[in-house]
Amino acid sequence: MLNAIKTEEYVIEEEPFYLPSGKEIEIFESAYKNLIPVIMKGPTGCGKTRFMQYMAWRFKRPLITISCHDDLTASDLVGRYLVRGGETVWLDGPLTRAVKAGGFCYLDEIVEARKDTTVVIHPLADDRRILPVEKLGEILTAPPEFLLSISYNPGYQSVLKDLKQSTRQRFLAIDFSYPDKRLEKDIIMHETGVDDLTAEKLVNFAEKTRNLKDRGLVEGASTRLLIHAAKLISSGIEPRTACDVSITEPLTDDHEMVTALSELVSSIF
Amino acid sequence: MHGSGEKHLTHLREDLVKNLRLDFFDDEDIESVLRDLQYLDRKIGQKTLALCQTLSHASSSLVPRTLKRIKNASRFLSLKEMERWINQAFDILDHQGVDHFLHFISRIDEESLWDFLMPKGLSLQEVAPVLEAYVRGISGLDLKIAPGKESYTDTSTLFVPHSVSKYEEREKNFLLYKFMLVHKWAQMVGGTLTPDAETLSAFLTDSDAPHPDIETFFRLFPEKDLAIDLYTVIEAFRLEPFLAKELPGLMREAESMKKDFLKERMPLSNLTGKSALVEGLYRFYLKGDIEGPVPGVLNNAVEEVLRLGNGATLYESMKTLFRLYDAATGLGGSYQPRSTLLFLGVIKPEEVSLHLKAERRARIKKLEGLITKLINMPAFEPRKTSFQKTVFSEKTPEPAKEYLLIKGRIIELDEETKGFIENRGGIPGGIMVKGADIGGAGCPMTLTELAEEEEIFQEADGGIKYDEWDYKRCGYKKSWCTLFEHVLHPVHDGFVDLTLKRYSGYISVLRKKFELLKREPKIARRQKEGDDIDIDAVIEAFCDARAGLSPGDNYFTRYDRHERNFAVLFLLDMSGSTKGWVNEAEKESLVLMAEALESLGDRYAVYGFSGMTRNRCDFFCIKDFDEPYTDVVKRRINGISPKDYTRMGPPIRHSTKILKSIEARTKLFITLSDGKPEDYDAYKGDYGIEDTRKALVEAKEQGIYPFCITIDREASSYLRHMYGEVNYIVIDDVKKLPNRITEIYRKLTT
Repeated sequence: MLNAIKTEEYVIEEEPFYLPSGKEIEIFESAYKNLIPVIMKGPTGCGKTRFMQYMAWRFKRPLITISCHDDLTASDLVGRYLVRGGETVWLDGPLTRAVKAGGFCYLDEIVEARKDTTVVIHPLADDRRILPVEKLGEILTAPPEFLLSISYNPGYQSVLKDLKQSTRQRFLAIDFSYPDKRLEKDIIMHETGVDDLTAEKLVNFAEKTRNLKDRGLVEGASTRLLIHAAKLISSGIEPRTACDVSITEPLTDDHEMVTALSELVSSIF
Repeated sequence: MHGSGEKHLTHLREDLVKNLRLDFFDDEDIESVLRDLQYLDRKIGQKTLALCQTLSHASSSLVPRTLKRIKNASRFLSLKEMERWINQAFDILDHQGVDHFLHFISRIDEESLWDFLMPKGLSLQEVAPVLEAYVRGISGLDLKIAPGKESYTDTSTLFVPHSVSKYEEREKNFLLYKFMLVHKWAQMVGGTLTPDAETLSAFLTDSDAPHPDIETFFRLFPEKDLAIDLYTVIEAFRLEPFLAKELPGLMREAESMKKDFLKERMPLSNLTGKSALVEGLYRFYLKGDIEGPVPGVLNNAVEEVLRLGNGATLYESMKTLFRLYDAATGLGGSYQPRSTLLFLGVIKPEEVSLHLKAERRARIKKLEGLITKLINMPAFEPRKTSFQKTVFSEKTPEPAKEYLLIKGRIIELDEETKGFIENRGGIPGGIMVKGADIGGAGCPMTLTELAEEEEIFQEADGGIKYDEWDYKRCGYKKSWCTLFEHVLHPVHDGFVDLTLKRYSGYISVLRKKFELLKREPKIARRQKEGDDIDIDAVIEAFCDARAGLSPGDNYFTRYDRHERNFAVLFLLDMSGSTKGWVNEAEKESLVLMAEALESLGDRYAVYGFSGMTRNRCDFFCIKDFDEPYTDVVKRRINGISPKDYTRMGPPIRHSTKILKSIEARTKLFITLSDGKPEDYDAYKGDYGIEDTRKALVEAKEQGIYPFCITIDREASSYLRHMYGEVNYIVIDDVKKLPNRITEIYRKLTT
């Protein structure tokens, strides 16, 4: 029997592994104490979500993650009436639950959500810190423990995938980028148990793919991909194959680029 | 299409014969020319015919000469190779004129045709894109790869042989290419080709050259070949550990390849002392034995180079070079340059120096331009500079550095700029000060930052190059047309207001019609999932349940939105022939279209084009995609007036480029013109039609839907061919245009 828990009861018990690459922990702490919501900017797989988990663990608050998509409506966030056993019952949405529980509400990839959905968080994100629940005719005031944070990847240079100024300017922003070489190596080793040399080679390869950003690749290899590759390597897959399937192929479909990346892999491993 | 191809050929042939006759060719000569043409393969024949026809306009005497050359060349070249060769000849004729063309086609010896021969083994052309990405990944630099007779670099382009056929297997040949490239890269990282001034100053005196580089360094050696060969192998030893650390996989494979190369090297016993020393080092590098005539010297040399492997600097490498060079010259005899190692390549100090000099010249030229700009610049206005830069830059003047204060700006100076300004005797209106004297205030800007602005400016100033399709030769003329973007000058003449008044009744109908298209988001009832409860459905379900019926499960309402996701670009013919009614009708149509689109909310842009000759294709911006429909835009519509000619290819290609950068599910491209494409030069008749057609096909290939509206009383037959690949409509009466265009748009987007 699977053990299911309520969204707002998801408290991270064990310390997630997180190596800070700058002052992000201190900044986040003081933002939290001063009731300022936080934007986390950065490319995919560089540790934004992990950081959020770490901070939730640090403050012992439940973490409510909402992955945004373009069909996400305001009711999906706030809540809706449902029919249950001949009656209509109100069901809180994840955002409402997070406010009530005083948890950390993390809206992942906020730019994917429609602009009319995004505005729902506005009253929560400024000094009012309230959540109007229109259908109930109620207003919830967020307790001081509540924190709102959103993440987005500014790399998608698209007019449609941009954050409105009115949303942006309610937040404090922490910029995440790929960790530096030594840190990234430590992360890979810690997460997967591969040896020093393999981790170094992986980081080396990642650096080379990042050189190709905007020269054929949309993004370089993220730390997450490196960890995937390292995991495969430590479970006995030959390193070149591991890199091909977990880094090269996910990065691009372009045949020439795939070949060039494979050549890089075989030059390094 | 085949039929029309034949037609072109006949036309070309007739034109050629006409020109030949005008230049007094008799029947026999003409017959011989035509016979020569017939001997050629069909495709080559067509290209050659087009070439001869073009030449015959200049002088018919060129025709037989050219034909003879082509016939001769066809003995060496395969059909594919011939095609490339003739294309190149055409390009030279286009861009450099008849003299260069004649020179090019007169060189039909094997040496000159070498570049066109399809390589045996692995050709660079085949793998260049992969190799380029590979090198960029490794280096993080925008290095180019180009074919050369040897493998070397001038620090911006990596030259490698145009084919590699050392091995039977493709993979091994490819591996060899990779070795060549990574060695060049290692040389660049290690500073082999670009020693800094400090390192060089240890060997050179100030009087050697104002800007010493690797070429100046090698002037120190009377036997330059010997020194360069020694340096190449010494650096190979120094950089080997670096490569082994960075690219262990590749270097492992290199080991086995080294053995293959060793087999080809000459044994040392037959060589003079000098040559044996160099060859010995190469052999040792390839892990071979080094028994030979000068064992003592060679053993010492080997010890020296091995020492370099432990993280030695370039300076130590150069020191070693001096010692080994002295040892070699001490051995006497002459030096016969050895065959170089393919994957180590060669070092060409003069090429590096040329490149560095060209770079320096370009920098100086830019500096001159920048300084002129600085002098003529208005005084600093805080608002005009990039706001972001000032906010995010944490730079403040450093006390010890020197800065140039000019017109309220603080310019950071590097050595080169400082030297340049001092040589110039200062700049009027500018003073040089120490950072300490400025105090902590102000935000210094580097000249590069200024240069970046300048570059953007230059690009806009220099125009944008586009290729043009030449149907006669079935190929593009490279960078043939230059297009300039302008913003149309707004005019106050009340045309738009007048149109709005005149069509006011129609406009309100139009708005209504278009608003209907908008498909407001609606609430969908009786859904399985949704945002809210559908009370009607629930009540019904209760009733059903009470009545003992199955209640069903669709109780929700869902907010359904059908967002229109269109981007449309209107391209307007502003050529002289639109003067009068056509121009007015175009403008009126635009006003109506804009009204309709504003009520619909689709994104749209409006551009106009005209121009004269390929060197001046004008592209006028009336409304950008991101620009709202303001009074300024209206005034620009007022300002649409007939200008010069109709060269349609470049503006279509430019519009395609603009649309490509826009994100939308459906991209529409509507052109409005009044007939045949025509320009002052040869852009008329079939040529113009074919280029326009090709440009539209290119747009379509990019996922854009082109639609052409032509105002043409005769509805000529060429339209079907020109627009055949895309959709088009002919409007015979210009007065109908304003009504028709909105209707067309409505139909196109629903």
